[in-house]
Amino acid sequence: MNVFLTSPWIPAEWIRAHGLTSRPLWLEERLSNAPVALSAGVCAVAETTVRFAETHPADAVVFTSACDQMRRGYDEGKFRGQSRVFLFNLPATPTPAARQIYCDELRRLGRFLQEMGGAAPDTKSLWQEIRRAGEARRNLRAIAPSANARSLAEAVAAYHCDGTCSEISTCPSDDRISLALIGGAFPKSDWTLFKSVEQAGGRVTLNATKSGERSLCPEGVDAGDPFEALASGYFDHITDAFQRPNTRLYDWLKPRLPARGVRGLVLWHFTGCDLWRAEAQSLREAFGLPVLLLEAGEATGRSPRDQTRLQAFIEMLKAEG
Amino acid sequence: MFAAPRKLSLADWGERHLQLQQAGRREPFYGGPLRRHVELEKDFRLEQLQFDNSPAALRLWNFFLTENSRLHQARTAGDKIVGTMKDLGTVPVMAYALPGVRAFYPDGAWWTPCLMECSDKLLQQAAAMGVDASFCPVRAMLPAFENGEHFPKPELIICSTGAVCDDFSAIAQRLEHRGHPVFWWEIPRRRAPAVGETSCELPGKLLAPRSQVEAVRAELQRVADALGQLAGKSLGDSALTDGIRAANHIRQILADLRQAVYSAPAAPLPALEMLIAEMLAIHFCSDRPEAGLVLGELLAEAQRRMQQNQFVLPPDAVRIFWVNPVADLRAMNLLEDVGGRLCGTDFMFSHALDLIPESLPPLEALARTALADPMVGPASDRAKRIIRECQTYDAEAVVISRIPGASHCAREGESIREMVRQELGIPVVEMEIPPVCDAMLPTMTSRLEALVETARNKAKGLKPNSL
Ligand code: SF4
Ligand code: SF4
Repeated sequence: MNVFLTSPWIPAEWIRAHGLTSRPLWLEERLSNAPVALSAGVCAVAETTVRFAETHPADAVVFTSACDQMRRGYDEGKFRGQSRVFLFNLPATPTPAARQIYCDELRRLGRFLQEMGGAAPDTKSLWQEIRRAGEARRNLRAIAPSANARSLAEAVAAYHCDGTCSEISTCPSDDRISLALIGGAFPKSDWTLFKSVEQAGGRVTLNATKSGERSLCPEGVDAGDPFEALASGYFDHITDAFQRPNTRLYDWLKPRLPARGVRGLVLWHFTGCDLWRAEAQSLREAFGLPVLLLEAGEATGRSPRDQTRLQAFIEMLKAEG
Repeated sequence: MFAAPRKLSLADWGERHLQLQQAGRREPFYGGPLRRHVELEKDFRLEQLQFDNSPAALRLWNFFLTENSRLHQARTAGDKIVGTMKDLGTVPVMAYALPGVRAFYPDGAWWTPCLMECSDKLLQQAAAMGVDASFCPVRAMLPAFENGEHFPKPELIICSTGAVCDDFSAIAQRLEHRGHPVFWWEIPRRRAPAVGETSCELPGKLLAPRSQVEAVRAELQRVADALGQLAGKSLGDSALTDGIRAANHIRQILADLRQAVYSAPAAPLPALEMLIAEMLAIHFCSDRPEAGLVLGELLAEAQRRMQQNQFVLPPDAVRIFWVNPVADLRAMNLLEDVGGRLCGTDFMFSHALDLIPESLPPLEALARTALADPMVGPASDRAKRIIRECQTYDAEAVVISRIPGASHCAREGESIREMVRQELGIPVVEMEIPPVCDAMLPTMTSRLEALVETARNKAKGLKPNSL
């Protein structure tokens, strides 16, 4: 059985250690291609996740409480009688109580996985998974600064699927305008944005979406109790907009933006996503960089309107010198 | 002094106020004619509202509309001001347990655009600060914090986070990014205990795993420490116990008021006054003892009218349960104009109406209360309580008001609607109410009229209209 995760902050290692297959739902092609009819205010990511769970009853879907839309999407699934869905209470704060909640939730997820047919994880296999994934993340992080954006996204996707580090093509630095792509879910169907940026004379040198480097933040702790190591390695390194305060996200961006020569920020967000949309102005104020808000839609990154906006944004950055 | 119940316009209230004064009515320090709120505070919306004509209602309105100025006065008098955000009802119980500390909800700026008919331009200012109309009207809070023209800047801002709405979470984070430090505390998403898991009873007939109660208790301990530090006096069990008792005193009066009004054969008090009265539960409108007196007088008025068989609406008004607060207060008048009456509410803070358990250690009791928040649990829990209360008060129809931009409204309305229909078979309508609903009035009126008519037909055994 596949266990589809909706967040990179839930350890896929934990799923694999239970003998089950973990899949990143935010990267799933079937998710990106699903046609959705959205009612007012509903975010497309949450909606497609709900519909995915509904149409894949043989698989398990792990929602998180990180945003209202996902939380309530889970409620809807439960209300409609879905049994292979799980809501992981992902705390927003870094307090000791929040850490305890995170650990409790991991254990509860473990019990759910066993109910779904998984095996109780043994220490050895859990350590193996932790070490393998930790090493893959380290390798990916090391190569990320010089990687081709699309190639890195594909390698990150592969890592989230099987915990390994695949080949990545690099991209020597050039005089194109360097951009950071910031946001939450960035489904595969929207990866044409990389090409659109290039066509407009720019390149993405920092992918801070869920499909990029930011999702590689968890640290592999290599000693002590494996459960504690796994929980701390993740909980202490969650780097996301939903955290309160969300200083970790800003602290993470801070050294990377100048190091990659970033001249402008592209904030990628879905209609109805308050958490990311509200960051636009804060990002502008925090880093003194121009921000282009791109709203995800069927044709984003390819639509003439977005292409024009992207071009104008990059032209403006070029003109600034 | 007492007149037959009826509704008055703001202009009529001028006359009535004079009569009351001539009859020797003594008003509290915040009293006076209602019109002055239009002149001084630019609360233009009052001119479009219909008010109850009782002295108790006058006191209620003056209390509600003077909150900001009373807070400024308290600050001048040396009180510490705490801005407590999002949890709606729990942290203020703790804050008011300390002498010289007043807590209020900056979230209350929600209604400022309505009251001022957007003349304050808070919503535009919020947009300029990066929070546009895709967020709920609570975005008015952000510029209100910065321009200082409404509430005083709090010495301490405490905000619950975790299983809260995205709108508030995002706006509060924006606030912090703009240089207003926030003390965050975690409220987990409430879940049902698993089989074999140790569980705790919460107010509102809910259950939660003990581990969640423990986590919230630990978070509230941090809140208590922060409040104690601000007050220069530790907030221990004994003060908290007294604070809980005082809060329960007010909650009990409100419970009696709701019971009296919602179960009466006809409405002794109008919907709008009930909405404002219920609001007092969450932070006592910044003056705990006075809130008790205001509610006490309102309860006495309702009881007096009932004894004299006097009602503000005809007995055939359709009994309507209302879900969610209205961004425009005028909607509560409209409900009555089309032949409805209020007979139950869920304004998103039902946990602030329930008595806080007094038999438990105080922080544990408060943790259980905080976890009973209808907005941190599944929509089905909320719907179950709505159904129970609809049954208690014989509701004939339900209105779910959608809050423009609110992240939770995108989904929960549908679940509540379905559950109510399945369980009770009564008509339910869901409609969006913007902060100033004038442009929507014709649509809202016809939808409410259809709801009332459907409920009436149902009562007569006729085939209901489809809504
Ligand atoms: S895009 Fe935003 S609203 Fe939608 S699921 Fe992700 S975080 Fe939640
Ligand atoms: S979204 Fe709803 S719960 Fe949140 S602040 Fe707005 S009205 Fe209140």
